[in-house]
Amino acid sequence: MADTLTIHIDGQALTAQPGESVLQVAKRNHIAIPTLCHDERLDAAGCCRACLVEIDGQRRLQPSCNWPVSQDLRVSTRSPRIERHRATLLGLYVADHRLDQDGLPVHTTQGNELRTWAETTDFKRLLAIDSPRHPRGVDANPYVAYDPDLCILCARCTRYCDEIEAVSAIQLAWRGAETSIATAGGRGLLDTTCELCGGCVDVCPTGAMHAKQAPRFEKPGAVQKVRSTCNFCGVGCQLDLNVQDGKIIQVTAPPPGETVNDGNLCVKGRFAYGFVHHEDRLRQPQIRGADGELHDATWDEALHYAAKGLLGVRDRHGPNALGFVSSSRCTNEENYLVQKLARAVFQTNNVHQCAAT
Amino acid sequence: MTNSVPEIRDCDLMFVIGSNTTEAHPVIAMEMKRALHRGARLFVADPRAIWLTQMAEQHLQHRPGTDVWLINALAHVIVAEGLYDKAYVEQYTENFEEFSALVADYSPERSEAITGVPAEQIRQLARAYATTKKAAIFYTLGITEHTHGTDNVFALANLVAITGHLGVRSAGLNPLRGQNNVQGAGDVGAHPDNLPGVQKVADAGARARFEAEWGAAIPTERGLNLNEIMHGIEDGSIRGLFVMGEDIVVSEPNAARLERGLNELEFVVVQEIFPSETARFAHVVLPAACFAEKDGTFTNTDRRVQRVRRAVPPPGQARPDWEILADLARACGYPMPAYATPADIWAEMARQSPKLAGISHERLDRDGGLLWPCPSPEHGGTPTLHVGAPMRGKVLLHAVAYRPPVEPTSAEYPLVLSTGRVLYHYNAGNQTRRDRGPNMKFSSNFVEMSRRDAKDLGVADGELVRVVSRRGQVEVPVLVSPRVRHGLVWMPMHNFATATRTNLLTIDKGDPITGTAEYKVCAVRVERLGA
Repeated sequence: MADTLTIHIDGQALTAQPGESVLQVAKRNHIAIPTLCHDERLDAAGCCRACLVEIDGQRRLQPSCNWPVSQDLRVSTRSPRIERHRATLLGLYVADHRLDQDGLPVHTTQGNELRTWAETTDFKRLLAIDSPRHPRGVDANPYVAYDPDLCILCARCTRYCDEIEAVSAIQLAWRGAETSIATAGGRGLLDTTCELCGGCVDVCPTGAMHAKQAPRFEKPGAVQKVRSTCNFCGVGCQLDLNVQDGKIIQVTAPPPGETVNDGNLCVKGRFAYGFVHHEDRLRQPQIRGADGELHDATWDEALHYAAKGLLGVRDRHGPNALGFVSSSRCTNEENYLVQKLARAVFQTNNVHQCAAT
Repeated sequence: MTNSVPEIRDCDLMFVIGSNTTEAHPVIAMEMKRALHRGARLFVADPRAIWLTQMAEQHLQHRPGTDVWLINALAHVIVAEGLYDKAYVEQYTENFEEFSALVADYSPERSEAITGVPAEQIRQLARAYATTKKAAIFYTLGITEHTHGTDNVFALANLVAITGHLGVRSAGLNPLRGQNNVQGAGDVGAHPDNLPGVQKVADAGARARFEAEWGAAIPTERGLNLNEIMHGIEDGSIRGLFVMGEDIVVSEPNAARLERGLNELEFVVVQEIFPSETARFAHVVLPAACFAEKDGTFTNTDRRVQRVRRAVPPPGQARPDWEILADLARACGYPMPAYATPADIWAEMARQSPKLAGISHERLDRDGGLLWPCPSPEHGGTPTLHVGAPMRGKVLLHAVAYRPPVEPTSAEYPLVLSTGRVLYHYNAGNQTRRDRGPNMKFSSNFVEMSRRDAKDLGVADGELVRVVSRRGQVEVPVLVSPRVRHGLVWMPMHNFATATRTNLLTIDKGDPITGTAEYKVCAVRVERLGA
């Protein structure tokens, strides 16, 4: 690989690696360039036109996400021409979006990057456009929904579906103002190659792709996010449990780049959290009575009954007549305590975690 | 894993064997797909034509249980063609003579006769793997759930060592752990042979440290592993059982026999979040908090210790397992320390465990996950193991000879049954069975069968059949599928209904070292109903 390069952004000399884009170098150096279709995990598409910059020697503005660095490249990210471009472009996006009473793109629970941009940038007020964008037909899948009114056609969802999840279940379809996100034959996602990973929801900048189970238009601060580790397979994905009124209302992925899963989740981690608040959950200690049935008991009764029963077996048959099955679903601290219970309290090494066979 | 998950996207070659990664570890599969998108090469060895095989350059479709023949043949080619890393073998391995003498007998042609994989495919993979620097091997339970599971792992480790793929970024030998805390549960001592911190029970020094910490003597003999505990339940040598968070009558093999044993136990404690199948046998049921309702840590497949945080309160009177366990020990008369939070429990364990000593809850909250070994608070963790040199100095090459699965097919039981996971369900199914989405995809157990076997039997796709093994029988619909070859049937391990549990059929013989049962191969026959 060649040595590092030097490029100049807004007159500032910056170090870059061959193969990097102008946007990557700018971001690393905290030079703000607006983006909508960009995601570090995806190939650059250059389709939203938000990140256009002036490149020395180029007649037209060029997408910084898709412009590779070269030695002594000179770029400017702010100029009257760029400001004019952004004001018009943002005005076009806003004119074709659902707005709230402030005349700004609506806020959604998962955020709206178009609104964030519009809040901080002057843009041209244009007459509202009502694109005849195709809605999704009846779709029985329980998790993912699409709202064409909020779609800006950045294609993050379809590219994620192609490049990361690689199932290519959704695609841009139709032409011109009718362009929309569709499945083959307009089928519901359950009848496509979709694996319901929900990545399309997570990458959507505006909340057009959204989780069916979750409230859509919560204000910032109404939902508390608790960072935790997924409890399904062994990948150890980091996830944010979105909590409202003591209930998990949604699970979202932390931003890419921060964690082992790089912002990705699967169908189980993202959507199969219904068990947490399920009515079948055990709520009360139980002791089996003389009638052979389990009966509710207090914690004190249940713990002393359990202790007496286990100690009784040990006293009658010796410590090695006891077996302790620990859980690879439980935490390290809890597994430590189970083996401590077996070894220190009952004097047996008969302790093994459940995934051992 | 010898290497870490984020390294996968930079692999140049991936050899996946016995792992249905897109279904069992979807997010690791996404990393593999990213490597493919960059141009990496993928080779998949699996008895089933899983989705990953469609993305692969080659699918080596070996017969179930013939892994050692396949892997040794790869080693044969690498040694015979001189493609191994001579300098690495010389400096960092031992027993190469015995190993190379053994694999000399495992020619690709002879392997083809037993595995069914064309010799040319074996040669191509061997050459590509040996000559690519960033070449990683991934495996899951398809390798370990055999009576020769340890042999399979040794055979793979030989490949890695003789080609010098150890201690190299985006290479190594990478077991993908099936559950969130398989790695951690073993690391912290839920193991009959290991004390916390991956220290042997036989290690007098480690034993003395924990005896001082706990104020109690620790027995010096290794205990029974899970498979042996299950056999003890069945033969009556185990009389009392404590089970936390496992539905053993769903997930353990030969379930009917285990149930008969459980009925005879004098005392059973079940600590659970749901009224599981196993709770039917409990004398006491203790309601526990699930992962979203408690604090602690999980250790993932790449040895990364990460925080689990309480987001919501547990339902009713349910309590976090750590609180229940501490109170149970106190009820037994043992003076368990007054732990304020799980951070105190971790600290007690870590201060006697050199490999984990540098990790604390406080540090995890500040820095995110840490990969052990992490011996001191200044240490940044270890994403790639064996860098510079193997940790034990030299890799011991094991000459492993092929041993067939314990239950061969016969005229009476002519089909091989293999089991595994589907994407939408998780293990015993207690969590996912209660969610709408997974049930819309799969709501009942099924048996996957080749078109030819279905035709021979005269059954159509979706028709109910009876699957019979020497241990039990279940009635499930047939899924006629191109994924399995003639002679092989496949069923998911998840519990959809008590009467159709796949583990009523499976065999409970385990690997001689780990005890892991041979879920991947047993003999069955499939019958038409009413025939």
